[in-house]
Amino acid sequence: MEAQLAERLVSGLKQAGIDLVTYLPETRLSQILPLLRADPAFTLVPVASESEAVTIGAGAALTGKQVAIYIECTGLYVSCYTLVSIARRYGVPLLLIVGYLGSMADQRNNNVYAVSGAYIEPLLQALQFQFQILETGDGLETHIQDAVREMHALKLPVALLFSGDFTR
Amino acid sequence: MIRYDCLKLLASRITDQLVVTSLSGQKIEWASLSQHPGNLLVGTMGTALGVGIGLAIGLPERKVIVLESDGSVLLSLFNLPTLANLAPKNLIVFVFDNQVYSGTRISEPTATAGKTDLALMARGAGIEQAVTVRDLAGFEQEMNAALSGAEMKFIVCKIEESVTHREITRTDLDPLENKYQFVRYLERTEGKAIFRGRG
Repeated sequence: MEAQLAERLVSGLKQAGIDLVTYLPETRLSQILPLLRADPAFTLVPVASESEAVTIGAGAALTGKQVAIYIECTGLYVSCYTLVSIARRYGVPLLLIVGYLGSMADQRNNNVYAVSGAYIEPLLQALQFQFQILETGDGLETHIQDAVREMHALKLPVALLFSGDFTR
Repeated sequence: MIRYDCLKLLASRITDQLVVTSLSGQKIEWASLSQHPGNLLVGTMGTALGVGIGLAIGLPERKVIVLESDGSVLLSLFNLPTLANLAPKNLIVFVFDNQVYSGTRISEPTATAGKTDLALMARGAGIEQAVTVRDLAGFEQEMNAALSGAEMKFIVCKIEESVTHREITRTDLDPLENKYQFVRYLERTEGKAIFRGRG
């Protein structure tokens, strides 16, 4: 991902009011981490499993934190249980920032990721979580703000899946 | 020592602490002993500790108590290194270790009935202050120290299996109702808006 896109992504999160990010690092969007860490507006919470990225994020959200969960798309499989048993069951607004490895527009797609990527959209549909796929920086900040508004309106997780230019 | 007796002692000490419960038995017992609006009756395996960590990070000046179990902690062992490194000073974790999956109703043993020591695992993960208590006096001593102290505590409570919760009428509090009760309580006591939805 170009440095400018990473900067815009982080700046978009800040503009949308996100102030706490739980994360398990991955390969496609990792340039955002040093930027998030350098900005005192964000509390960064490193975790050991995407499953607890959700539970810790949910707990923080119930205290008024505006929470984003930054994970690789395979982490959606790992966190399905907590997404359902905590985020959906309790109705907790969370923004899922997802590196969409294995998607068709993933510029580094290969046989390690393609199968995992193929089921992400049906999975989110099954979970009945709203999501949007972003492949360029066009309107990035607006898409983030829209997703944050949506997650608060629904009081549910909403996902932004980053592919295309974000995976270069 | 049985869990219900420990929880009775704890319930008598609750003022404005937030309490997150793990799965069924202790959730039922705690909901019977305490109807405090600061209770979050999560009630699913492997999730209470994570939620409690999040609450503790979000409200660093507020004491957060997590009631966990052996089976539940074993399901989400990744919580231990995360907790060790975050180490929120306002978090108290009680792990009620009865060495069985009591919900099975056939007392199917957990790993702690065998060779596994949860306090040792916690210390290995970096939670240096993890301790084990084996009787009610020890529980009360650790509980009092945790409630009055300003450090994270991880207290494994070795208990006998009991079926007290099967004799208690279950709470009918719905999760969404519980969430709003909890969040509105926090909004009142913390003096800030949490859910800012526009109708």
